[in-house]
Amino acid sequence: MEDLALVVRSEIDVLTPHNLAEALEMLHQNGPELKVVAGGSDVIVQLRDGVLRASKLLNILSLKELRYIRMTGGQIHIGALTTYSDIVHHDLTRNHAWILVEAARQIGAVPLQNTATIGGNLGNASPAGDSLPPLYALDATVVTCSKAGEREIPIEQFFTGYRKLALSPEELIEEVYFNSLDSDDRGAYLKLGLREANAISIVDVAVALRAKKPDNSFGKIWIALGAVAPTIRRARKCEQALLNKPLTSDLLKQASALAAEDAAPIDDIRGSAEYRKDAVVSLVYQALHEAALGKVTADG
Amino acid sequence: MEHVISFKLNGKAVTVRTPPAHTLLEVLREQLHVTGPKEDCAKGECGACTVLMNGQPVCSCLVLIAQAQDADIVTSEGLVKNGRLNPVQEAFLEEGAVQCGHCIPGLIVSATALLMRNRNPSVDDIRTALAGNLCRCTGYTKVIAAVQKAGKKWRT
Repeated sequence: MEDLALVVRSEIDVLTPHNLAEALEMLHQNGPELKVVAGGSDVIVQLRDGVLRASKLLNILSLKELRYIRMTGGQIHIGALTTYSDIVHHDLTRNHAWILVEAARQIGAVPLQNTATIGGNLGNASPAGDSLPPLYALDATVVTCSKAGEREIPIEQFFTGYRKLALSPEELIEEVYFNSLDSDDRGAYLKLGLREANAISIVDVAVALRAKKPDNSFGKIWIALGAVAPTIRRARKCEQALLNKPLTSDLLKQASALAAEDAAPIDDIRGSAEYRKDAVVSLVYQALHEAALGKVTADG
Repeated sequence: MEHVISFKLNGKAVTVRTPPAHTLLEVLREQLHVTGPKEDCAKGECGACTVLMNGQPVCSCLVLIAQAQDADIVTSEGLVKNGRLNPVQEAFLEEGAVQCGHCIPGLIVSATALLMRNRNPSVDDIRTALAGNLCRCTGYTKVIAAVQKAGKKWRT
């Protein structure tokens, strides 16, 4: 099996464009047979495993124009080729998107953070992509581009099913943007993996609490669940149960139980469906507690 | 399908003719016979293939050779200067932070990358920097001691 994969790989061509316009032209000319590779941490593994079949790869790693983090008008814009290391170290993300920083830190060890990109994580469309729950919690918008122009797609509409995207073969992911987290906003990201580095999530959870009122209630709440359904899921019942109510430990405990209803997990090598349903409730509780009341202590 | 790819390896310019979708690790080991970096998991989980690419540690099993065009690549072999081991390599020897040795080139590259940024790392800093490098023999205690010692050597 391995040998077969190697033989096939030795026949794959790699096109390396010099700039974005050239990349879009190559996508236009080649159509669906041209697969995009950015940092390579998913694509190379999938090529070797035979999961991804491609006769040509478009190596976009050299497109420096898609590697940036900037703030304009209260929104953080992150270019598709921004690495997790960039996100972990940049002041804008550290101060205004810390739930994404936390996911970037936990996605893998330093060598993976140095090559894996946020655009790659979006494009790979895995339900266990660690940057995705924070981006759902930040209510992000994905910007795509092609020769025909740009499109803006709300993140929940960008993922249409298991590893399915609202992205045509001629389009590239250009950037993702969202409203920055401000000092009154609260948020947390928690991941359950089999190891603290380089582990694919069993369950991960991101929460963002915004529009804070003096009684510790919040007018806007996002709770996003990873690795428990074909796509990232918002725990909407749980969100509803908490909106505009002063957050206490008891209320968080009651509401967290509702998260299980939004989870539709499967059994796999990393954990059983039953375990995931339990774990997601506990992780939502811990994440909400951390965001609203401080880290959960040993006595609960 | 072959491309001609040129990059810097351990300070010297190299040019290879290779299928462009082969990995940097495959080219290093099989074409250039630089066997410090190892292939174990081929998934970015174990860190045995860690090399420096433009000064940053990366998993060379997850880099297409086409992506290494014009890059500056350093393996554990390249850390030896004029026949002298670098402080991390010396400290690993002195502390006996090695058993079977298989993971050590990757650990040494990761540890060197850490000390290039921070000559006085805490134990937590060291654990975080080496979290991607699996060792199934040492239990890491001596590895951490060696990195602390290497930091001291580097500072003086």
